[in-house]
Amino acid sequence: MQSQTLRHRIYLFILVAPAFVVLFGVVIYPFFYNIVLSLSNMNLRHIRDWRIIGFGQYIKVFTEPSQPDFYVVFLKTVIWTVVNLFFHVVLGVFLALVLNQKEIRGKAIFRAILVLPWAVPQLIVALTWRGMFNYEYGSINLMLTQWFNIPGVQWLRHPLEAFIAVIITNVWLGFPFMMVIALGALQSIPHDLYEASDIDGASWYHKLRHITLPLIRPVMVPAITLGTIWTFNNLNIVWLVSNAGEPSDQTHLLVSFVYKAAFNFYRYGYGAALSMVIFFILLVFSLTFMRKSKATQNVYS
Amino acid sequence: MNARTALRIAVAFLSVTLAVVAVTTLDSCGTGRDHRVRLTIWHQDRIDIRVILQRQLDRFMQLHPEVRVEQLFKETEELRSGFIIAALAGQGPEIVYGPADQVGPFEIMKIILPLEEVFPKDWLAQFDPRGLTWYKGHLYQVADKLGNHLTLVYNKKLVPVPPRTDEELIRIGKTLTADLNGDGKTDRYGLTWNYTEPFFFIPFMTGFGGWIMDDAGNPTLNSRGTVDGLKFIKRLRDEEKIIPNEADYNVADILFKDGNAGMIVNGDWSWAGYQKAGLDIGVAPLPLITSTGLWCAPMVSPKGFSLNANISEEKKAWALELIRFLMSAENQMESARELYTMPTHMQVQQSDFVQQNDILRNSRIQIDRGRSLPVVPELRAIWDAMRPSYQAVLAGTMTPERAAEEMQLLALRRIKEMNE
Repeated sequence: MQSQTLRHRIYLFILVAPAFVVLFGVVIYPFFYNIVLSLSNMNLRHIRDWRIIGFGQYIKVFTEPSQPDFYVVFLKTVIWTVVNLFFHVVLGVFLALVLNQKEIRGKAIFRAILVLPWAVPQLIVALTWRGMFNYEYGSINLMLTQWFNIPGVQWLRHPLEAFIAVIITNVWLGFPFMMVIALGALQSIPHDLYEASDIDGASWYHKLRHITLPLIRPVMVPAITLGTIWTFNNLNIVWLVSNAGEPSDQTHLLVSFVYKAAFNFYRYGYGAALSMVIFFILLVFSLTFMRKSKATQNVYS
Repeated sequence: MNARTALRIAVAFLSVTLAVVAVTTLDSCGTGRDHRVRLTIWHQDRIDIRVILQRQLDRFMQLHPEVRVEQLFKETEELRSGFIIAALAGQGPEIVYGPADQVGPFEIMKIILPLEEVFPKDWLAQFDPRGLTWYKGHLYQVADKLGNHLTLVYNKKLVPVPPRTDEELIRIGKTLTADLNGDGKTDRYGLTWNYTEPFFFIPFMTGFGGWIMDDAGNPTLNSRGTVDGLKFIKRLRDEEKIIPNEADYNVADILFKDGNAGMIVNGDWSWAGYQKAGLDIGVAPLPLITSTGLWCAPMVSPKGFSLNANISEEKKAWALELIRFLMSAENQMESARELYTMPTHMQVQQSDFVQQNDILRNSRIQIDRGRSLPVVPELRAIWDAMRPSYQAVLAGTMTPERAAEEMQLLALRRIKEMNE
C-alpha cells in the first residue's frame, strides 16, 4: 500500500516537473532576483560591483523628488485603469448582449468586425491613433470641425487632452476582449432559466439583473482582474500614442516610470524597487477584488 | 488508462522536453549540424541598409566558407538594453553596430573591447579620425559611416535655390506657405521638422551660440543660445507662420513627401527614401543665423562596429576580419552610391563620386560645420531633461527663459541620479 502511494507521488512529481522547471526559469527565479535587485544599488556605475543596501531604493521611490511626481503618476495610473476598465466592461457586455440576441442576423460578421481592434497589432493601432489626433491633419479634428462645427482640439499638446487621447485609444483597443469573454459566458447560460422567468412574467430588466449578470459574474470577475493588471501595466499604448510621455512627461504611468528608470537611466535597483511596488499594489487589489466580488463562489448553489 | 500507462506517457513527455532543451542548448553553442564559425552582428539600421549589408555579408561568406555571419536588426533602445543584458550575462552578439553614443555606457559596464591593439595603426590611418571613437584613452568603435546628421532637405520643384541664411529661409518660407484651396487653412508650409525631439532643436541652439555640455560633461543648457534658439522656433511658428502648428517625425515626413512642405530639416537617413518616393530633392547645409554670424550646427556621429567583451579568441580573429572587410573602400563606396552615406575611408571620401555628387558634397559641408555627438552616458540625462521643457515652450505653457533653467536643473538631477 505504502509503495503504491510512493509510486503515485513519483508519478505526480514527474507530471508536474516539466511545468515547474519552466515556471521556475521564467517566473520564480526572475521574481526573486528582482526582489534582490530592489534591495541593491545596481546602476550604471555599480553594474558589476553591486551590493545589497537594504530598503534605500524603496525609500527613494516614495520620497525622492521626481519629475513628474511619483504620487501624481500613481493617481493618473489609477484613473487610467478605472476609466479604461469601466468602458471596456460596459461596452463589452453591452455589445455581447446585443450580439447574443436571437433576432440579429449576420452575427458572425458583426462579431468579426467588433473583434478587429483586438486583432490589429498594438503598435499599428497606437501610431494610427497618434496620427488621427494630429491638430491640423488628424481625422478626429477634421470630423469635429467639418461635421459638428466644433473647433479642433490640440490633443497632443496639452496634458489633459493628451491623457484623454490615450484613454480613447485604449478603450477602442480593449473592449473586444471583454465582449468576447462576456459573449462566451452569455452563451453558456441555460435557456430554460429565461423560459421559466418568461412564464413568471419577468421583465427584460429583471432577467438581466437576476439571471444574466449573476451567471456571467464567475467569468467576468477573473477577466476584469486580468484586465486591471494588463491596463495598469500597459506600456505600449501610452508610450506610443503620447510619444514617450508627451507633452512634457505628463502622460506617464507607473510602468513607463520603471521603463525610463531601468532602460534610459540604467537605475536597475530603483527600477526593480518601483516594479515591486507596482506588484504589491496589484496583488492587494486582486485579492481584495476577488474576495469582495465572491468570484470563487458557485453561482448555482 | 492505468497508472503504468500514465507513468510511461509522463516519462515520454519529460524526455521530449529535455531533448528539446538539449538540442536548443547545443545549437546555441554552435555545436549543431553546421560546423562553420558563427558570427552575429546586432544593428539598428533601416531596411535599405540591411539589404546592402546582407549583400556584403554574402560576399564575405563566399570568400570564407568556414564562417557564417548573421545580421540581426533591433530597434535602437532594444539594441542597447538587449546588448547590455546579454553581454553582462556573458552572451550576446560578437559585433555590435550603432551610433557612437552607445560607447560611453558600454565602456563603463566593460562589455566592449578596446580596439587600438587589435587593428594595425597603418590600417586605422586609412580612415577619417572622426570615424574612430576614442573614450578614456581607448579606441572602442571603428565606423564605416560618418554623419547621422541633420541638413536642410528641399523639394527642387518648390525651392529652386535653397536659403543660405535665416532671413532667406523666412523669406522663401513665406512665399511657399499658402492656402491653396481657399478654405482659410494653410495647405502648404515653407518648412517642417520633428518638433517633439530635442535632437532636432540642436542646430537652432548652436546657431545662437549654445551647446549641451562643457568639456567636463557638465550640462550647459541654461544659456543664451538655448533661450534664443527656442525663441527663433516660436517666431517661425507663431509670427512668421512658415512651419506647421504641430509636427512629429511622421507628420513632417508625410508633409514633405506629399509636397505640402517645401523644406524639411531631416537627417542623412532620409534622403534615399525621398528619392525613392519620386521627389526631386536637394540637400543644403542648415542656414547661417545672421544675428550671431554662426551656422546652425547639427550633431554629427559616426556609426560603427564594436566588439563584445565576451568574444572567444577564435571568433575574435574572424570578427576582426569581417570588420576589416565591411570597412573596405569597395564596401563603403557601395553604401555611398546607393544611400548617400558619408564614408569614413579617406580614399572613398576623395573619390570623384563623393567629391562631385551634389548631395554628398553638401553633406560633407554640413558634417564639417557640425558638432560631435558626445559619447558620455550623461547625454541620456541631457536629452531627457531637454524634452519636457522644449515641448512646453512649443505648447505655449513655458517661456524660453524658464525652459532653459528647467532643462539645466533637471539635467543636473538626472545626472546625479545616474551616477549615485
